[in-house]
Amino acid sequence: MNRKSYLTFDFIIILAVLCLSVISVCFIYSSGLNSEGINTSVEFIKQIIWVVTGLAIMALIIYVDYKYLYDFAYYIYGVCIIMLLITLLVGNKVNGARSWLGLPGVGIQPSEFAKLGTIIALSAFCTKNRENIRSLAVFLRAAVIPLLPMALILAQPDLGTSLVYIPIFLVILFMAGTKIRYLFFLVACGIGVTLFTIIPMWSGYVLKQETFFVAVFSNQLLMLAVLGACLLIVILSAVGWFIFKKGIYYWMCYSFVILSSSLFMAMLAQKILKAYQIMRLVVFLDPSVDPQGAGWNILQSLTAIGSGGLFGKGFLRGTQSHYNYLPQQSNDFIFSIIAEEIGFFGSMVVFLCFFIIIIRAFIIANSSKDSFGSYLCFGIIAMIFFHFVINIGMAMGIMPITGIPLLFLSYGGSSLWTSMMAAGILINIYYRRYGFKI
Amino acid sequence: MSKNPFENQSIKKERMFFLILVVCSVFVIFTLYLFSMQVTRWMEYQNRAWAVARRTSEVPALRGEIYDRNYDAPLASNVDSFAVSIVPAETDRQKLPQIISNLAAILGTEPQALMKKIPQADVFQTIELKDNVSYGQIVQIASNIEDFPGISWSSKPVRHYNHTPSLSHVIGYVGNINTEELHLLYNKGYDANSIIGKNGIEKEYDLTLKGTPGLKSITVDAKGRNVQEERYIRAPVPGKNIVLTIDRRIQELCEKALGERMGSVVVLKPATGEILAMVSYPSYDTNRFYAPDSASYYSTLLENRNHPFLNRSIQSANAPASVFKTIMMTATLEERAFPPTQKIDCTGKLVLGDRTFNCHLKTGHGPLNLSDALMESCDVYFWEIGGNYLGPRKIEQYSRMMGLGEKTGVDLPGEVAGLVPNPEWKLERTNEMWVGGDTYNMSIGQGFTQVTTLQIADLIAMIVNEGTIYVPHLLKEVRDVVTGEVVEKRAPRILHKADISSQTFKELKKAMRRVVSEGSIRRLFNNKVVSVAGKTGTGEVGFTDRWTSWFASYGPYQAENPEDQVVVVVMIEASNEWEWWAPKASNAIYQGIFANQSYEEVVKTLDIWYLNNGTDIIRRRSE
Repeated sequence: MNRKSYLTFDFIIILAVLCLSVISVCFIYSSGLNSEGINTSVEFIKQIIWVVTGLAIMALIIYVDYKYLYDFAYYIYGVCIIMLLITLLVGNKVNGARSWLGLPGVGIQPSEFAKLGTIIALSAFCTKNRENIRSLAVFLRAAVIPLLPMALILAQPDLGTSLVYIPIFLVILFMAGTKIRYLFFLVACGIGVTLFTIIPMWSGYVLKQETFFVAVFSNQLLMLAVLGACLLIVILSAVGWFIFKKGIYYWMCYSFVILSSSLFMAMLAQKILKAYQIMRLVVFLDPSVDPQGAGWNILQSLTAIGSGGLFGKGFLRGTQSHYNYLPQQSNDFIFSIIAEEIGFFGSMVVFLCFFIIIIRAFIIANSSKDSFGSYLCFGIIAMIFFHFVINIGMAMGIMPITGIPLLFLSYGGSSLWTSMMAAGILINIYYRRYGFKI
Repeated sequence: MSKNPFENQSIKKERMFFLILVVCSVFVIFTLYLFSMQVTRWMEYQNRAWAVARRTSEVPALRGEIYDRNYDAPLASNVDSFAVSIVPAETDRQKLPQIISNLAAILGTEPQALMKKIPQADVFQTIELKDNVSYGQIVQIASNIEDFPGISWSSKPVRHYNHTPSLSHVIGYVGNINTEELHLLYNKGYDANSIIGKNGIEKEYDLTLKGTPGLKSITVDAKGRNVQEERYIRAPVPGKNIVLTIDRRIQELCEKALGERMGSVVVLKPATGEILAMVSYPSYDTNRFYAPDSASYYSTLLENRNHPFLNRSIQSANAPASVFKTIMMTATLEERAFPPTQKIDCTGKLVLGDRTFNCHLKTGHGPLNLSDALMESCDVYFWEIGGNYLGPRKIEQYSRMMGLGEKTGVDLPGEVAGLVPNPEWKLERTNEMWVGGDTYNMSIGQGFTQVTTLQIADLIAMIVNEGTIYVPHLLKEVRDVVTGEVVEKRAPRILHKADISSQTFKELKKAMRRVVSEGSIRRLFNNKVVSVAGKTGTGEVGFTDRWTSWFASYGPYQAENPEDQVVVVVMIEASNEWEWWAPKASNAIYQGIFANQSYEEVVKTLDIWYLNNGTDIIRRRSE
């Protein structure tokens, strides 16, 4: 390596990552303080260890050419799937989900690493099938890659983490050049399912009345009838398309397939979703429904953030957090304590770091000399961005509580290592943008 | 793989631009939203954060003490005591049954009773498990505090009564406010945690006694623990001390003179209306309401058929019987209805239509004038007067003029008005016409007329004052709890001023004096310290074996200073017409008051062994 090659490092990303790591350790320390100002937690020491080891892993990943990731993509993916399977069988339960492998506290969460495995496998798959990426068959085969870990993680059960795979898949396929209508189908189905699942709960808890329109989504028989009608239209329009070959029948079929699948999945979701998950969604819609129970978290988080003000209450001076009103401070609600103690300006620093990482990732994707590298970048962008939007959105009360960590900041080795690895991959791709290096 | 996977990439720029657009807009939206939360609506959230962490709690004010007129030792005071509480969110749910059973063992209660008070939810509120916990019990809990997670305690003084049992009716007791009381008193500074007087003076003067609770501000964390120094927003203002007109020496004397006989005694100063003693038997022990077995004690009291909660001096009305003849005499003299010197011959009976009315002396009193008739308590005489010369209207008018049928306005809750009948009342009530027999009955204080002991005391007071009744009262003065200064002094207030000549009252007093000095009770009245004037009465209660025995009197008969005079009214629900408990007890009371003797000394001085134990005599006679 010559002197110039060092400059090809993306130091901006490294700087942003280091900045976030320092903030992370500081506020995990702050979250460990109780009302008397005494530290009651060793979490920040563990986090320091994970930051240091994470940086080492990052360096290691930068060093190894990412083409090996391509070569071993399916093996990496396979290992992740096996780990998830083992977790499901012998894992430890933490907060109701069997997501830990090894001892709690020192073990790992395979579902975190599996995100990277899936990104690598998807990127490799899309690279290999670049020629016929617009075919439905390739799209469907690609869909299997995220579905497998999603199913295993849902079985833990951990809804939040499994949801991350959806944007990863969508973004990689989108950038790989698949047909928009396939993706739109998925997105429309997703929105449909969410709407149809939430509407009856929303009316039940918030409106406290039932209208006919709502009854369609809550009454099983009515739902089946509507579903039957939709399927009939689907069949009829499919027949019409085969006979007349007119575009209108195709789009009719397309939209009613979306509608009926949404309905069908909403029915399933209403059966599968746990009571606390339903309550989380309802509380998201109206936190005051249950201020002492499920709404507590959101209200306390909102209060913490809002009361922070422009400059915050000062480091280690947050009242909401240190008086223990704020739940899960070091994990899911780390942003609330940051916003409370260092205010709007401090939060902007966090926003800026994430923004830099994501924009740099776009630049790297654009400058990557090959498609695989670009796809990796887009997958990582999707992952980091989704975590950012969901976690901070949740803390600010504009997203439902799903319990997923804020990458780089939340307490936890697996999530931090995954973030560091992702950053490492980005730097690796940038470093090798002009050709292969050692 | 035929193709080289690492050939130059060809990502679609417009798709990437779309993604960048999405990312940028989300960042902008989030930034704006965060700005609106932290900068625009900062105050709102700031206030909410304060409201969550700041709790104000009430600091109870010390209740004022109650003294008798000597203002030396309190009759009702406060004793240091504690309340034990739990914060459900701080305890250990698994070990809770064990914790509670250990706690119950120390507190001496049933674990189930404590468990019932603990909600299922892990709330951060402090829930009171038990009050009236002693210092010793708290020490036991405190020394093993690690075994009691979530358990805490606070000071909660309890009321302690240090008085003779017969004062229970007067002083009353306190308890936690109930829903109805709270609804009524919501605007008067009470809240759901208030302690409120439930009866007697405690209830009547609750606003004076209770003081104003203070407000304390504390900052608490989510578990309800204090994280800052307590600050008083408002210091508690202790209640005021109340000094009663009661003289506890006279009270005890009356209580013992009444003994274990159902009835009541009222002693008051006619010149001011001050009540010196007010006894009602049976009574109850208020301190037991704060003891562990309070619930069972309370229910036995409620079930007792002698109604111990009833203050018989003001809350039960009986026929005034022959005491009513004083009103008859007043009316006769004042209306000049019948010449006082003209005699009526008592043959022992009077025939009205097909009914024969018998005088209490079957053999007849012979010819009597007005004064003789009062002294002998001759029924025939007053039947004649009432039936032929006065009539029900006049009798009613004079009864009301002299305070009957109307509340005395004494400063105690639950007083009854008694009853003075008239023909309209009877028609309305029984749908029957007023007949001559009703007038006869009314003339000798039988029938419908009902009076309380205190009303009779007022009646005598009017005779003593020659036309004026002062509102009988128990409050002497209100004193500051710290300095002891008199804050408020109860001045005598006139209740009634009858338009009756003093000559009439003088005649009446003379006759009343003769009742004691010449009448059948003269031998009972063997005290030498004071000359007494009065009137006996024996009333039917409605049961043939139960009579009310009255003795309404005052002494000394003549006094230089009206302040020295006292009215003593004894009403006994006797089981025998001829026992004359009331005059016997009155005799002892006068001896005690004016010779400044205790009851035991009185018994010795007067050699009235028979008053020593009333129940013994009743038993001996019935055998």
